[in-house]
Amino acid sequence: MNSLSWPAAWRIARRDLHRRFRGLRLLLVCLFLGVGALAAIGTLTSAIRGELDAQGREILGGDLEVEVWQRPLNEAETAFLERYGTISRGLRMQAMASTASAATPIELKAVDANWPLYGTLTLDGGSTMGAPPPGQAWIAEGAAERLGIGPGDLFRIGTAEVRVGGIIENEPDRLSEGFALGQTVIVPLDLPARAGLTAPGAMYESKTRVAFRGNPDPLGVESALVQQFPDAGFDIRTRERASPGAERFVGRMGEFLTLVGLAALAIAGIGIGGGVASYLEARRGSIATLKILGATSADIARIYALQIGAAALAGSLAGLIAGVAVTPLLAQALEGLLPVRTGLVVDPPSLVRAALFGLLVALVFAAPPIMWARQFPAMALMRSRVSPLAGSWRSAALPVGIGLVEIAALALIGSPQPWLSALFLAGAAAMLGLLALLGRGIRAAAAKWPRPANPIVRAALANLHRPGSSTGALVTALGFGLAAFVLLAGVQTSLDANIARSVPDRAPDYFVLDVPRDRLGEFEAAVQAQATGADIDAVPTLRGAILSYGPKDNPQIVSQLEELPEGAWALRGERGLTYAEHLPRGNSLVAGEWWPENYSGEPLVSVDAELARAAGLKVGDYLTVGLLGVERTARIASLRRIDWESMGFNYVLVFSPNALSDAPHNLAATITLPSGTSAGGLLRELVRLFPSSSVIEVGPLLTQARDILGQVSMAILAAAGVAVLAGIAVLLGAIAAARAARLYDTVILRVLGASRRQLLMLQLAEFGLLAAVLAAVALVLGSGLAWLVIVQLFEFEWLPDWPRIFAVLGAGTVLVLAFAIGASLPLLRARPAQALRSL
Amino acid sequence: MVTRPPAIEARDLRLTLGEGEAAVEVLRGIDLSVNTGETLALLGPSGSGKSSLMSVLSGLERASSGSLTVAGADFERLDEDALARARRGRIGIVLQAFHLLPTMTAQENVATPLELAGQPDAWARAAVELDAVGLGHRLTHYPSQLSGGEQQRVAIARAIAPRPPLVFADEPTGNLDASTGAGIVELLFDRRAETGATLVIITHDEELAARCDRVVTLKDGRIASDVTP
Repeated sequence: MNSLSWPAAWRIARRDLHRRFRGLRLLLVCLFLGVGALAAIGTLTSAIRGELDAQGREILGGDLEVEVWQRPLNEAETAFLERYGTISRGLRMQAMASTASAATPIELKAVDANWPLYGTLTLDGGSTMGAPPPGQAWIAEGAAERLGIGPGDLFRIGTAEVRVGGIIENEPDRLSEGFALGQTVIVPLDLPARAGLTAPGAMYESKTRVAFRGNPDPLGVESALVQQFPDAGFDIRTRERASPGAERFVGRMGEFLTLVGLAALAIAGIGIGGGVASYLEARRGSIATLKILGATSADIARIYALQIGAAALAGSLAGLIAGVAVTPLLAQALEGLLPVRTGLVVDPPSLVRAALFGLLVALVFAAPPIMWARQFPAMALMRSRVSPLAGSWRSAALPVGIGLVEIAALALIGSPQPWLSALFLAGAAAMLGLLALLGRGIRAAAAKWPRPANPIVRAALANLHRPGSSTGALVTALGFGLAAFVLLAGVQTSLDANIARSVPDRAPDYFVLDVPRDRLGEFEAAVQAQATGADIDAVPTLRGAILSYGPKDNPQIVSQLEELPEGAWALRGERGLTYAEHLPRGNSLVAGEWWPENYSGEPLVSVDAELARAAGLKVGDYLTVGLLGVERTARIASLRRIDWESMGFNYVLVFSPNALSDAPHNLAATITLPSGTSAGGLLRELVRLFPSSSVIEVGPLLTQARDILGQVSMAILAAAGVAVLAGIAVLLGAIAAARAARLYDTVILRVLGASRRQLLMLQLAEFGLLAAVLAAVALVLGSGLAWLVIVQLFEFEWLPDWPRIFAVLGAGTVLVLAFAIGASLPLLRARPAQALRSL
Repeated sequence: MVTRPPAIEARDLRLTLGEGEAAVEVLRGIDLSVNTGETLALLGPSGSGKSSLMSVLSGLERASSGSLTVAGADFERLDEDALARARRGRIGIVLQAFHLLPTMTAQENVATPLELAGQPDAWARAAVELDAVGLGHRLTHYPSQLSGGEQQRVAIARAIAPRPPLVFADEPTGNLDASTGAGIVELLFDRRAETGATLVIITHDEELAARCDRVVTLKDGRIASDVTP
């Protein structure tokens, strides 16, 4: 008989295991927190994705949607789609709505009588409707408020007058419409033309949706459509990808939060390691006895691995249950922002992934103490009661290595951006390593520090480096969470300050679309009349798709590309195009030459150097674009570097005027008001003089961006909060593990005449010192990383809000201190005589 | 007549604990042969090396040098795990501080070595053994719910249960009052008589030593005397 069988080992393990996992509760709490956070993140992501998939038809408003700029579908294209089912036509554009006394930018949505093909529109008051009747509009509450109108009132869009038919409460296809630059107004399909908004060159988008008859494969229909009309410049979406932007955001956010949760679980791992070491330390007598009775080291490893495995399973299971239970609350918080399945959602893959992460982290951190415990000869265990368990890392290298590899594989497999995930994991590992080194350094420094004269401070300092002290583990565990808090606060406040302060300095106050090209002078005069000294920059604006590119004799056809080259996003769908006599502001040539003034030779184009690099384009190559159904080819005359931070109009393709100026088009303009001036009646005056133009206000967009930033920061902060909670669990575990030594010290000091107040001061001094060290480490590390993110990664200004950072750090540090003192208070109540008898 | 091999055969056993300047030579060349079925008392003052000798003889500790054969097994060639396997079912140990598993009941404590030795009826046999030491009514009690004498009786039942040919008892009455201790000694000798095991008792109680077939006295890590009372 060599080793104990697993069933026999389990019988012994179960007997030795306390029914309520006494001694292993730190492990339980740490796994509960880590697995719970991961389960909640996974379940919530899946609940949103599930709803995006389930409601694909309603979100898209059809089984398939075809978008094209500046034209409706032609007869052949419409007939092709009608073969598959019922179609609904629509138009989308930026426009202005106004009354005699107010004006506001709106997102105009013109729909035909078949709209919505799926889902229902709900108006304020609960009535469900389809398209508005002729002459009426459904308007968003925000637009009604800004115009000061309500149901039954008249207002103007362009040159047409419409009546408010109702206030929109729920718009079924809102999510697929994407980022809105104004409040929605839904009108009948014929209104834009009546209002003069669809004149040739006007910027609008036509959307044609299909509700399939029968059950054809949407992807099959999509590829048939592309094959039939390869150069039509369609942007096609199917019900499976109803809102790719939202899906991409949810996917990436979910992945990022999972990684933050995993980092929190790593902190919990420190608690797991500490908890298991303390547990085995307390079991030293039992391990020795089992060895005396004939248990081999393998038997010991089996028995205690089974016990710890059982506790890990229980903790993980509790975490999974909590993660699932908390998801409906998180879903409620997200209501209105994203579609999310309500009620309890159980997503087995997410739960299995969370549980696997938890168990693997438990394996990595619990293996070393188990391996060390099994190596000790029975008599050494008996003899070294006072010294902590320690052993060679080599013995635990195999299980730890396997666990780490599996954790990395689990995190990277299925990740949408494995390199980014790998980078994050490497960064988190480096941060943990750095903190561990700092912890050691602080311990060593405390040992070498000159002994303070005050006995309380002296004892407190000694506690930081005494044998068995947890200073190293605590600096790692708590430092990570607090540094993450500082990092987030630094990044968020800097981004916020950049958006609030720096961006408005550089960005214009208004973007104006569809300024008639022959009325530019009138437009400039109108602006100057309302805001003297305003800076106006107007450029021609057209839309077209790149159809082919490359050498003249061997061009690459874009529709034949299986996959777009990395970074060549401009090849996807239609893009803004312009032409210019001179090199645009903020651009610089990196290759070739700009065309001379009044150039009239071969059509030329200047290409963004980044796109040229991604697509392999060089000066002298040719590029063909599809513009309103007509192909136009130009030779690449130069490559430009674009300063995207200039916040003005930036075009990837700028043509020589003779290449595009004959195409019908309008102008787009930016207006930058002199600092300190207000818009006054500019908006109303522009609407009156240029009813077909639309204005986008930058201020509300920045507010919207700041709101989104705030929500994202909250989500990351919540995930990082788990790291702080796990750190506090590690702290409580460390205090509990050192309880006997601390009780001994306390009792001896009481015997020597120390008062309870002095003992309390001792605890305060010790944990105050630790908290101060932690705060300093978190501040330096967190703000250093935040600086890297802001200045090096985002290339923004470093504008942290220090009072807010200190407030966040202070709150975290006080929390740590409060828990530490709270956990130490029972020691102060120890009665010397009673304690001495039991020590 | 068939000559049975000695239960223990030790030659020039040495044990040094600690390293460098802190090294202490605890056993300094022990030669000892214990016959099968013999009862032997190891006497000596505190620090003479009695417990260390028992640790080495029972395979809890490896000697620094010398040769040792226990129940036919060459102990100096065995590693830690092989020594543990060698103990299973062959060596029973009773310790002064009982060393019961605090999280297990009396019956579970006694069943554990049987299970480690792979015996299928461990549970029932544990009950029988406890009944034999007068604790049939205490099967489900935890060590903390038993008196010192009862705990030592559980420890004896646990040591004897696998029917080992060799039993070591290290100061089995050291933590007990005189009358309880006397009862435990009776029980230990009775159980040994029933099983016919070789018994090695470490004690500094000369009366107890006198009940053994042979008394070996240790002093400063060496055998000072080896007598048959």
